[in-house]
Amino acid sequence: MILNFGPIIFGFIFGLILGSQVKNNPISGVNFTTGSYVVILIVGIIFAWLLGQFPYYNDTTLSTAFLAALIGVLLGKFLFARGSSN
Amino acid sequence: MSQGSIILKLIGVPIAILLFCLGVMTILGGHITPGGGFQGGAMIAAGVILSVFIYGIDGSPIKFSHLYIDILENFGALMFIIFGLVGLFVAGSFLYNVGSDISNVVPTVIRNIFHYPDVTNAGIIPYLNIFVGLKVFVGLSAIVIAFAGFKKFSEE
Repeated sequence: MILNFGPIIFGFIFGLILGSQVKNNPISGVNFTTGSYVVILIVGIIFAWLLGQFPYYNDTTLSTAFLAALIGVLLGKFLFARGSSN
Repeated sequence: MSQGSIILKLIGVPIAILLFCLGVMTILGGHITPGGGFQGGAMIAAGVILSVFIYGIDGSPIKFSHLYIDILENFGALMFIIFGLVGLFVAGSFLYNVGSDISNVVPTVIRNIFHYPDVTNAGIIPYLNIFVGLKVFVGLSAIVIAFAGFKKFSEE
């Protein structure tokens, strides 16, 4: 079994780039806490499992590109976008 | 449901984040599945558009600054050109796939640098998809952000 690192590395980097712009905004009227993002992560794992891996990639049963992007978005949000956008 | 509906506001950001991930997945699978840079970039932009529509341009939790848009747009275009020029200088034709090297004209060191790490031997195609995806998602998002800004400006 060969693990395909391409989607994992670049999905994570792409996710970091996107996640760095997701900031809590007081004007929006809703406040997403850390617990909200944990729920999004759990839903995302189920999502990735239902999507399945790309064709010819026989390493895992869940979509590594989707999961790496989700982890990247959440990590980027907590590392680079901790403040509010206003 | 109106624009200010609490249900829309509660599901807006989670759906936008999942749309981001679906877009990234579409971009990274562009060389073996239907999709690619443009389609994936449009899906990511759809997440941004959803957020701008639901929360409004001022209240949107997903906001792109002018510098962010500028850097990503230029980076995508510049890297696409650089990858094309590498093929031109190494193999004699613009955008030659130096990662897979079907004609066996590229030195092994350069081939290893541009080889995408997966089982399909796709070469530089996934990288080009990534750069196109960056450009498209930033470009489409910028158009919608600009239109929303114009609308707000005309209402004031």
